[in-house]
Amino acid sequence: MRNKSVILEARDIRLAIELIELGARLQLLEAETKLSRERLLKLYKEVKGESPPKGMLPFSTDWFMTWQPNIHASLFMAYFKFFEKNTKLKGLELIIKAYRMYLEQIKRGGMDTVLSLTRAWTMVRFFEANMLQMATCKECGGEFVTHAFDPTKGYVCGLCHMPARAGKTRKAAAIAV
Amino acid sequence: MNAMDTYSDIKEVNLAYLMLAQSMVRADREAAIFRLGISEEVADILDRLTPGQVLKMAGSDMLLCSFRFNDSLLLNLLSNHERDRGVGHIHAAILAAGKPVEAVA
Repeated sequence: MRNKSVILEARDIRLAIELIELGARLQLLEAETKLSRERLLKLYKEVKGESPPKGMLPFSTDWFMTWQPNIHASLFMAYFKFFEKNTKLKGLELIIKAYRMYLEQIKRGGMDTVLSLTRAWTMVRFFEANMLQMATCKECGGEFVTHAFDPTKGYVCGLCHMPARAGKTRKAAAIAV
Repeated sequence: MNAMDTYSDIKEVNLAYLMLAQSMVRADREAAIFRLGISEEVADILDRLTPGQVLKMAGSDMLLCSFRFNDSLLLNLLSNHERDRGVGHIHAAILAAGKPVEAVA
């Protein structure tokens, strides 16, 4: 439905700009605002100075399972669940707040942003669709993202038991030298 | 250190803590709730404190902030320098987010 109210449209545009700046893909904008595709396209080009990336959104839950993405996804979900429980934020606001906290934490650690806003948003939808779940690590007691219906008893997280080659990227080696 | 020194040090820490907490709540409410580990109600109270009230509260002989993490694992993670610092902090943040917040009874 096209919306007729100018105020609502102004609010949507402001929200869309915020989302684009955080790195949202066009599909996310289409789902979360009532603006037309043409307007969003124009807005995207104006904000970013380039055309939005084409193609489908990432749709696999497997991406969240490999070591580095899992740590980042779990960190985002930790914030998400904290704010869900302890504040009145909900919906997209909740995602944006949790994502901003995630970004700050990553920036302070001097790491690359592995989880994009679009991925974070997709992940929340995966949780709503019961495709992912949180498992409690038996060693540290923290909660981590796993496939739904995976056995969670005796689960040990990737931070308590780091795989031998985890984090040993070319970039990390360059910094160490 | 004599009792008078301790008292004035406590007062100073209390004042710094209350002022920091209040400005955090006013700048970014939700982030402050996470970083201070307080409930929305406590955040409301902090937000409403007048400068006079802040001074009065700070002037007691008890420290107003206390150790937040009684968990040895969390303390280890936050103080351990052997690991990659960023990863250690991510782990600590994941664990800290799972902890309950301080609420008013």
